[in-house]
Amino acid sequence: MSIVSVRNLQRTYQQGTITVKALNGVDLDIDSGEFTVLMGPSGSGKTTLLNCIGGLDTPSSGSVVIDGTELGKLTKGELSDLRLHKLGFVFQSYNLIPVLSAYENAEFVLLLQGVPPKERRERVMQTLKDVGLEGMEHRRPGELSGGQQQRVAVARAIAGRPALVLADEPTANLDSKTGHALIELMKHLNDVHGITFVFATHDPKVMDAAKRVVQLVDGKIESDDRR
Amino acid sequence: MMRLLMLAARNLTRNLRRSLLTGAAIAFGLTAMIMMITLQEGSYAEMLRSGISMLAGHVVIEHPDYAEEAEPELVVTDITALGERLHEVLPDAVVAPRMQIGGLLTSPTNSVGVGLQGVNAAAEKQVTDFDDKLVQGEWLDDADDRGILIGAALADRLDVGIGDKVVFMGQGKGSEVESQLFRVRGIFKTGGAELDGFVGMTTLAPTQALNHTPDSAHQVTLHLKNPKLAAEARDRARSVTPPEWKVMTWDEAMPDIVALIRLDRFSGDVMMAVIGVIVAMGVLNTVLMSVMERIREFGVLLGIGMRPGRVASIVLLEGLVLGFVATVVGIGCGIVAAYPLVTYGLDYTAFMGSETMEMEGIVVSSVIKGAYGWNRIAGYGVAAIGFTVLSAIYPAYYITRLEPVEAMRSV
Ligand SMILES: Nc1ncnc2c1ncn2[C@@H]1O[C@H](COP(=O)(O)OP(=O)(O)O)[C@@H](O)[C@H]1O
Ligand SMILES: [Mg+2]
Repeated sequence: MSIVSVRNLQRTYQQGTITVKALNGVDLDIDSGEFTVLMGPSGSGKTTLLNCIGGLDTPSSGSVVIDGTELGKLTKGELSDLRLHKLGFVFQSYNLIPVLSAYENAEFVLLLQGVPPKERRERVMQTLKDVGLEGMEHRRPGELSGGQQQRVAVARAIAGRPALVLADEPTANLDSKTGHALIELMKHLNDVHGITFVFATHDPKVMDAAKRVVQLVDGKIESDDRR
Repeated sequence: MMRLLMLAARNLTRNLRRSLLTGAAIAFGLTAMIMMITLQEGSYAEMLRSGISMLAGHVVIEHPDYAEEAEPELVVTDITALGERLHEVLPDAVVAPRMQIGGLLTSPTNSVGVGLQGVNAAAEKQVTDFDDKLVQGEWLDDADDRGILIGAALADRLDVGIGDKVVFMGQGKGSEVESQLFRVRGIFKTGGAELDGFVGMTTLAPTQALNHTPDSAHQVTLHLKNPKLAAEARDRARSVTPPEWKVMTWDEAMPDIVALIRLDRFSGDVMMAVIGVIVAMGVLNTVLMSVMERIREFGVLLGIGMRPGRVASIVLLEGLVLGFVATVVGIGCGIVAAYPLVTYGLDYTAFMGSETMEMEGIVVSSVIKGAYGWNRIAGYGVAAIGFTVLSAIYPAYYITRLEPVEAMRSV
């Protein structure tokens, strides 16, 4: 069963008198356990698509169904709750709350979800271990490298056990070695824990890691390869 | 919630200098306000103390029409028996009956219209500090019903000194004019123009005789050790007082002074509120600035599924924490800073040129000791916290309107 089902998605932006078609009729299904890379040049609509899937942006037409729920029918508050319980997000940069430690950042989603303290602690510790940050729990973002910060962001995204993690160019601000390691980490989490990732990038080198590559050009899906 | 509180507190430490400056403005404002209201409350307390001892007592018994009409015949009768019954139910209270008669005081050289007070010399000495105001001669003696005390200005005008004779002519009950010879026993100087220039004071007996009302008084005043028990004392006094007399507490007996104080306090509060609003504007500016700097961060919180209301509550909590800490510090500093005012008082002697001064017609000491107005201090504290939280409301509301995508686009 697909976790994400996108049908004839359109998103247009009005920029003064010009209308920009950021998404121009996208159909996409993503199954549980997939590791999908969303490829495409800058401006091709990757961010817009991820934001629409994540309920952060409202499509102009078409529908997005997440785990059986159609986003268009939800109120703002319900969308919040859906993001909290079903989705994990890794943004491009500045993901973290600077005054909270790595531990507290990862714990935040669990707090919001209302997970009881003991379980919360166990899960956060385990997750930080999974992303390779053991022993750095008490460091604040300012005391971590860029790659480590993105690992905390990944930890926060997966700690809440979402059905799907959306990552929008999480390696864009990292050097290629660190970026590659982060991708390997996500791939590993996908392999071992079966976490579903949708991952946007314009870096063709990343393709190698993907089980499925969706090519986006000018707001349309140009190709969709599973391997 | 605890976590949000902690997050709010930590956020305040991010720009520590800004938070400290804002908090200091709130705290300093409160400190200044507390010093001001401590002085204010002190002067009210002094006015009331003086008013109670000279005018009304904590509880006063009078003819129901006396306050309105002040006719000489409106007396309370059988005061000896009444005094005994009052003493039984209120053994600690001092009972001081008083008579007032208007008339003319005449010396060989001049005559002046005066109010003649008849008092129980022993009781009055305990409840007023009139005896301290004597500059010449001595206090009244209940056995001497020809002794009179007059003010210094009156003595000047009549050109009389201790031991000199003066004649009082006045109209008591009925319409006959009665006269009585007195000998000046003492001269007082209170600093009050009215008291020093137009008042004579003698014992009860001659005034009762002048008024043709034996064993009576215009007011029977009761003076308590603990002024807070006035209402209870009034009820006890009422239980032994014949129903034809009116029994009132001091605030019922001096409604104008009470109203005046209330009005003055209110206008003080209004002024403080204006200052509060000005401080709140400054706080609003700071909070808004700190929110604008963190738009992206709030966008991330919204993005990961925190409800807008909860994100906004972080900002409100920041206001609450800032307001609370600043208020605690401000109240603490205010109490400490006002302490010298409360213990030593503020000496107005240099401005007044005498040891007493007149406030709203009441003679009070020129050294006004401050009094902590705890209710007001607490009220101002709550208001300070309230104002701070209030000034965080708009920034918090602003956050609830944010779209996560747009918020995250700003860096
Ligand atoms: N808020 C916006 N207002 C106007 N145009 C936008 C907005 N967001 C995206 N766009 C436009 O939509 C197109 C797709 O953008 P985006 O989804 O960010 O692409 P990508 O993430 O692949 O670089 C671009 O042409 C971009 O300029
Ligand atoms: Mg993008």
